[in-house]
Amino acid sequence: MLRDITIGQYYPAESAIHRLDPRVKVVATFIYIISLFCFKQLSGYIIAALFFLCMVKLSRVPFKFITRGIKPIIFMLIFTAALNLLWTSGENVLIKAGFITITAEGVKKMVFMALRLVFLIIGSSLMTLTTTPNQLTDAIESLFKPLNKVKVPVHEIAMMMSIALRFIPILVEETDKIMKAQLARGADFESGNVIQRIKSMVPIFIPLFVSAARRANDLALAMDARCYHGGEGRTKMKPLKYKKKDIAAYLVMLCYICLIIAAGRILPV
Amino acid sequence: MIPFIKAEYLVHEYSRRDEEGNVTGINRALDGISIEVKAGDFIAVLGANGSGKSTFAKHLNALLVPTEGTLYVDGKDTSDHNNDLAVRQSAGMVFQNPDNQIIANIVEEDAGFGPENIGIPTDEIWHRVEESLKNVGMYEYRKASPNHLSGGQKQRVAIAGILAMKPKCIILDEPTAMLDPAGRISVIRAVQELNKKENITVILITHYMEEVTAADYVYVMADGQIKMQGSPRQIFAKSEELAKYKLTIPEVTKIALELIKKGINIPKDILYVEELTDILLKLKVSATVGVRKE
Ligand SMILES: Nc1ncnc2c1ncn2[C@@H]1O[C@H](COP(=O)(O)OP(=O)(O)O)[C@@H](O)[C@H]1O
Ligand SMILES: [Mg+2]
Repeated sequence: MLRDITIGQYYPAESAIHRLDPRVKVVATFIYIISLFCFKQLSGYIIAALFFLCMVKLSRVPFKFITRGIKPIIFMLIFTAALNLLWTSGENVLIKAGFITITAEGVKKMVFMALRLVFLIIGSSLMTLTTTPNQLTDAIESLFKPLNKVKVPVHEIAMMMSIALRFIPILVEETDKIMKAQLARGADFESGNVIQRIKSMVPIFIPLFVSAARRANDLALAMDARCYHGGEGRTKMKPLKYKKKDIAAYLVMLCYICLIIAAGRILPV
Repeated sequence: MIPFIKAEYLVHEYSRRDEEGNVTGINRALDGISIEVKAGDFIAVLGANGSGKSTFAKHLNALLVPTEGTLYVDGKDTSDHNNDLAVRQSAGMVFQNPDNQIIANIVEEDAGFGPENIGIPTDEIWHRVEESLKNVGMYEYRKASPNHLSGGQKQRVAIAGILAMKPKCIILDEPTAMLDPAGRISVIRAVQELNKKENITVILITHYMEEVTAADYVYVMADGQIKMQGSPRQIFAKSEELAKYKLTIPEVTKIALELIKKGINIPKDILYVEELTDILLKLKVSATVGVRKE
């Protein structure tokens, strides 16, 4: 069903990771991504992989959900891997055929680059799998609050994100309805060249825009009626409060990044 | 006693403007409305499409301000923008479209949206959310996404969102227009209960005749004016006049009137199916008794 569409891909479960403050998860993901660029040798990858596996185990998210995130980027992955493979010059030539030269350094670089990308994707997947979209917007609002000082409307942006989350499934469903109505009237969205196809979409998008504008208008009135007047003087039903376990999680991340950096300096391979 | 709502010769004009901002046309949507509503009353406002009901409702919530005349809600002048929040808090508004008035992604968070805006402390918000969701029978859905609820359930969540601001009055602008019959009944029941148990003033705007039977007093609007007023029975007894304003009386009242035309002796202000069946059964009993005596 179209109404079941959710942004992100929350996997509901009771786990230590799920219960963490969403801000911790956002910051930790950020640290993890940075850490991936702090080393060049195999041992770094092993540490990053082991750390990630521990987190997955703690989160109780089945592994197949985590790897699912790689599918959409497989093409990009192959492309960058190929580029790295062909463009890296080195001394240990493995294959030389016409203008194609493959070196051992190229193979190494390709594998590492691909691993880095995979870790980056599955690392952020773990965050979106264990954090609801609402918690994410709350975390973003809270983390970026300092930007208020330089006149960035942080509260308003977070509110917009959360309203978008509520209305995207509704609008998707509506698009489907309009499309079916047009199909029933003999509309044809499949055949013809690009221009014709774009033209056939016009009768879908116009009613959709009209309806979205009406919804926006209604919603603004409803928000006014409920005394909404921006972020000023507003309290929170679910305020974000750091608990001991969140501080502990920050400490774990600190240890992890130190370990990675140290490994990058000390370990030879 | 000071009335909770007091409108005196309320006028509202929508003006159409061209690109330069010059007024090109004026539409007098409210044309001299005077109303007084006591606290605790259940008022219904009836009227065909375009009669100005929504415009009037928006005035009660300070979403629009009068062009002429004055409107006091809970003793506050709505044309003073400093009163906006206070007016909206003491007279909450429920709109027609269930989807377009739910703001949050989880039922309980939506109920908490109003209290958050008026700066209620966190613990008290939770308390109010629980209470108001229970009041409309939606507490068990508190963790659900609004997208998974039926229309009637969404409207009850919207009512809970208003209740959580602890209003003295609720204004409902055609809350059942987009619902199926079961949803309609559930919403009207919830509203009736709030009026009786919590003593909340209710202003129910509708064009479904059946729904005004619950009201203490009915106003009929047409062309921005109040054309008729009285108890539901008094209003329904005047079916010809109602028809003039494109309104039709409930089916059961219609049947009763047809029966009267056929020479059956029953009152002409019948509102409920049960009422009619009771009266008819009694007639039948007395008729059969009469036959036996002869
Ligand atoms: N935003 C607006 N701008 C201009 N005219 C409006 C606007 N809203 C309503 N009207 C007009 O005001 C009149 C009353 O409308 P409304 O209050 O919505 O009636 P009802 O709710 O009874 O259907 C109608 O003639 C309508 O066309
Ligand atoms: Mg209306």
